Amino acid sequence: MKKITLITTFIIILSTLITACGGGAPAAADLLEEIQNRGYIMVSTDPNYEPQSFLNTAGTRPSDTICPSDALTPAEMQGFDVDVAVEIGKRLGVETCFATPDWDIITAGNWADKWDISVGSMTVTPDRQEALDFTSPYYYTPAMVGTLSDSGISSLDDLANQAVCVAVATTYESWLEGTLDLPAEQIYAQPPAGITVVTLPTDQECAQALAAGRTDFVAYVTSDTVIDANLAAGMDVTKVGKAVFSEFLAVAIDKSHTLPIDTLLKAVDDAVIGMHADGTLTNLSINWFGTDLTLDPSK
Amino acid sequence: MDPTETEKEQFSKAQGELLFNAQLRIQRMFKLNVTISWILLLLFLVFLFSGLEFSIGNAHFSTIQLDTEFIRENLKFIASGIWVTIGISLLSILLATILALLAALGRLSKFPPIYALSTFYVSLIRGTPLFLQIFFFFLALPQLGIILPGLYAGVLALGLNYGAYMSEIFRAGLSSVGKGQREAAFAIGMTPGQMMKRVVLPQALRFALPPTGNEFIAMLKDSALVSATGFVHELMWRATKVGRARFHSLEALIIAAVFYWIMTLAFTSLQSRMETYLARGDR
Repeated sequence: MKKITLITTFIIILSTLITACGGGAPAAADLLEEIQNRGYIMVSTDPNYEPQSFLNTAGTRPSDTICPSDALTPAEMQGFDVDVAVEIGKRLGVETCFATPDWDIITAGNWADKWDISVGSMTVTPDRQEALDFTSPYYYTPAMVGTLSDSGISSLDDLANQAVCVAVATTYESWLEGTLDLPAEQIYAQPPAGITVVTLPTDQECAQALAAGRTDFVAYVTSDTVIDANLAAGMDVTKVGKAVFSEFLAVAIDKSHTLPIDTLLKAVDDAVIGMHADGTLTNLSINWFGTDLTLDPSK
Repeated sequence: MDPTETEKEQFSKAQGELLFNAQLRIQRMFKLNVTISWILLLLFLVFLFSGLEFSIGNAHFSTIQLDTEFIRENLKFIASGIWVTIGISLLSILLATILALLAALGRLSKFPPIYALSTFYVSLIRGTPLFLQIFFFFLALPQLGIILPGLYAGVLALGLNYGAYMSEIFRAGLSSVGKGQREAAFAIGMTPGQMMKRVVLPQALRFALPPTGNEFIAMLKDSALVSATGFVHELMWRATKVGRARFHSLEALIIAAVFYWIMTLAFTSLQSRMETYLARGDR
């Protein structure tokens, strides 16, 4: 008898807990309004890439920030994507805060309302468009094959029947596997036959593994800007041939957000278009990449 | 001339003392040798990462090169993740201990639903990977309307996971208390609750606590998995991010490794003190 009372109490407590947490209807009518109400926009980015997005290890959190304590502030981050995100926040009239989940969680969608937008050099693809909505592209990068300077590989054909490294859940992986679903005018070359795809957590492991003397693969596919950064860091790598496809990189918003996202999408899109028009993006691109990557290559 | 009784006594006392001193000396020598060997092994490890290149005859040897400048620049940044790592581990082990105790008691229950709940929990959690559980709590709970910050989703996952494993430790602890002890408690008129609280648990915990410390040391390292969700900036997260962005993953990971090792050493010594303290009742 006593035990049954104990179990009943237990079940009652458990169910109250679940219902208590389940309550609390959202006050704002849509995501844009909620962002304006709380005063900050939560942006996801992947701080594994210099110069796109990386940590500012010398930066400290400002005392007057309204970012949640587990989010990073712009002072603790740096890079092209970071500056673009901060500028978007400015144009929406809110502070920008950063979340830094693993890349494959961002591209998979279903963000569970944990962050509002992704400014992470994400390529627009039809697959991703099923889960995410994209703004106009804010810059464009050529995808490129990289290899060690002394590998003897000088053209795409030399890669036939070899192993090639890419980061997981990237467009480079799709390109190698022949499943890259981009408009035909954006794809300049097809991968040669018989390639073994090796996937590592990020592009950076590919280059580092080669430089460290690993021989599991002979080349890696990544963005032209990543190979430039590899070279700038003094790594003995080289680009193979010309760009294999062109990536249109845009801001993404999760379709499965519990609040309507259309007004936010429109507002961020307007901000991106405005940043193209007034030269903000061109300036940031020259500042971080040394060249203007904000011009549409298909035009 | 035969020795007197007192002389005999003194003689055997001196013998005993000599024997005792000899044993003490052997023990001290052993400890000293172990320390010297540790230092030599440590020096070898440092040498392995010194970047030195040398030749013996025709054979050429090289050691692992590290960028000391990168290490100097990022040491402080990576080190500031230590407290996050320790914090996650402490919160998680607290939750795990409570869950493990409940699960172990449930396992001893004669009431089917309680027994089933306990075995179901242990089986489900032990049957799935920890990494998967961390993502589950981060991504699935919001659909039930429970939106936990990344840190607490991680602590919940770690706590539940280790709780399932530790329930076996507590079960072993509980069953190590002899049947006679329970019977004696009943015989003097204790209720089952009193028997648990006054007789069984105090004895069971003495067996369960040292392995719990061991689990804590394992958890210190598993806490690195929590950072995949992006809101927990602990030691491993800091090391991988600065390492990748600057193409110095090896250096960054070695910094993290050193800190993990130091933390483990500190907690190991704490654990051995705890063990000595708990064993003081043993003869």
